[in-house]
Amino acid sequence: MRTYLQAVSAAAICLATSTLAASAADPVTVVGWGGTWDKAYKDGVWDKYTEKTGVPIVMEEWGGEVAKVRAQVQAGNITYDVVSVEAPAMEVGCAEGLFVPLTPEITGDAANYLPGTLHECGVASDTWATVLAYNTKVYKGDAAPKSWADFWNVEKFPGKRGLYQQAQFTLENALMADGVKREDMYKVLATPEGVDRAFAMLDKIKAHVVWWSTTTQGIQNLDSGEVALSDGFNARITNEAINEKKPYAIAWDAGFFYGTDYWAVVKGAPHQQAGLDLLKWFSIPENQAGFSKLYAYGTGRKEAADLIPADWKVNLPTSPEHLQYGASYDNDFWTEHKEALEERFKAWLAK
Amino acid sequence: MKRRQRGGMLALLTAPLILFVVILFLWPVARFLALAVDNSDFSNNLPRTIAALAGWKADSGLPGEPVFAALVEDLADARRAGKEGVLAQLVNQRVVGSRFLVIKTAKDAADGKLTMRPVRDEVLSKQGGWKNIDLWQVIARQQSARTDYYLLASLDLKRGADNSIEAVSADRAIFVDALLRTIWISIVVTVICAVLAVPLAQAIVSAPPAWSKLMFALILFPLWTSLLVRTVIWIIVLQKNGPVNSTLLGLGIVSEPLDLIYTRFSLYLAMVQVLLPMMVLSVVAVMRRVPTTYMRAALSLGAPWLTAWRRVQLPLILPGILSGGAIVFVFALGYYITPTLVGGPTDQMISSYIAFYTNSTLNWGMGAALSLQLLMILVLFALLFWTASVLFRRKAHVA
Repeated sequence: MRTYLQAVSAAAICLATSTLAASAADPVTVVGWGGTWDKAYKDGVWDKYTEKTGVPIVMEEWGGEVAKVRAQVQAGNITYDVVSVEAPAMEVGCAEGLFVPLTPEITGDAANYLPGTLHECGVASDTWATVLAYNTKVYKGDAAPKSWADFWNVEKFPGKRGLYQQAQFTLENALMADGVKREDMYKVLATPEGVDRAFAMLDKIKAHVVWWSTTTQGIQNLDSGEVALSDGFNARITNEAINEKKPYAIAWDAGFFYGTDYWAVVKGAPHQQAGLDLLKWFSIPENQAGFSKLYAYGTGRKEAADLIPADWKVNLPTSPEHLQYGASYDNDFWTEHKEALEERFKAWLAK
Repeated sequence: MKRRQRGGMLALLTAPLILFVVILFLWPVARFLALAVDNSDFSNNLPRTIAALAGWKADSGLPGEPVFAALVEDLADARRAGKEGVLAQLVNQRVVGSRFLVIKTAKDAADGKLTMRPVRDEVLSKQGGWKNIDLWQVIARQQSARTDYYLLASLDLKRGADNSIEAVSADRAIFVDALLRTIWISIVVTVICAVLAVPLAQAIVSAPPAWSKLMFALILFPLWTSLLVRTVIWIIVLQKNGPVNSTLLGLGIVSEPLDLIYTRFSLYLAMVQVLLPMMVLSVVAVMRRVPTTYMRAALSLGAPWLTAWRRVQLPLILPGILSGGAIVFVFALGYYITPTLVGGPTDQMISSYIAFYTNSTLNWGMGAALSLQLLMILVLFALLFWTASVLFRRKAHVA
């Protein structure tokens, strides 16, 4: 009945606006992470697409709650066409059949993508890193923190430090501080002893941590002097440092982990085909680079990196001079262990 | 005849409202809560394996060929129906680290890659994860389409190896603490609101009309501001170098900035600020109906002011405090953005866990179980408030 009504009303609208319909295409609803991230995508990517094809893009903001997609699909009332999701949510959503699998015809040759930036159901929207950031007015020159061990050293670096209030990122940072090499990280973390070791490290600085749960809050804590060093998403720190002229720097060589969010098309979305067309256009290197030029996150295609001006490229986690200190979050590991480790982390926090 | 007509008319008029509530509220809520005991995604997707495991005991070692053959058939079917992702998630919740084992085995099974006989050896050699006895123990227990797994987990309990109920290890026990904390925070916030609202309401009611209107507007004003804005403002006001701390430092009251934000104190402050108007509105509404002559009569008969207020005014406005208290308490129970933003790590309330399971891990069974718990608390306290007001009314009647 519902679909019948929809069909009838759609037909009526088509009839009434048949002359208009030829020129004005249906807008595609694209769901991103909001704020400056969305703005960079609008200015650097979507506006160009609309200019070229005439297809308007309507942007919506979310917190990556794939539950919303599942609820829309189950209720048969889908409003999202294209969404940006984190890797573990991508695994779950793709396996559940919430997203449309992408063919090489859309994404181009998989060999042209950086490792981990192409998924059965998505292409990278952005590759972000969680980095050690500090206030250069408080820690000048050689006094700056250089490693996660420094971050954990409350005698040498007294005062509170900021950490993201969740297990992923925090456990990796704790183990890096304890001397675990990045390449061994998930071998260690996959064992119960490794997890205990990470929590033992966290015990050491628990009293010195101000936890943040939104990016804005993390930055606000740096701004107010609540903390002088903090973990954070690299582009947000760069944004504050370069665009807002705030005294923040990133200790890239302390080591960092990076992760990828993906664009995915919701299966059964009202503009599924238009969404796929959009991703096909987005998979062209020049179009992908439009985002990274404005926002210090990397994208999937290797060629896209060459199109970014050198003086800006140094801010990207995927630039060669930083990548040597970085390693990828293990998406498979976090897909399987997320719930159990976050539960334990919450239990630990509340004690 | 006339009366019946009027009844029919009334039913007709209220029908849209009732339908609205049932279809858009009660029905979806009930369906979501039913997920707390639903196990059909498990039992329906592994029917043959579960049947073949009947009578199998963990101490007799890995199950035999018939079970593995059934598993391969079940997983192939699940994959074809697009259900292997859900199944894998359910298995992984119970035996952490087995998600991809299920998905890969299902893919192999559906692609016809597991055809050798005995298939048990082939599965075990290709996917060694199935050597884990815990996995089989979990699967063997899923005969029913209903489960108490989530409800037990929401009380920090689980089924042990011999299927008896036992407590989870201490580093996993979170929900009972979180629930008690949620109730305690809500009670404290309600009491603070009541204590603050009564004098405020008294002031509004006794003030000259112009002042009364102004005060009323000031009380209502925060209600029109976004909850998020009101919450974030507290971060700015209470932070280390914020106005409160710099005033205290400037006056020499403290020598070092106080930890004001991200504490239980700041949480109470933010919640009371948001919820106080509800209480004030409720008390003012009742207080306006109490004639001022009662107090004056009590005073003129020689009662000290406090006694007169306590014995005459308070009982008359108590229904307002009770209904305001019920509203504030119910709202407070569901808070999670405010505790996350302005509270400390030990101040998280149960709703933040519901949001975590519902939104980010898609474990709706767990989300539903915790919601059910919260609903029970709500019903319990609603009954308490109701009983209190009934008892009070009866007492007032007798007196």
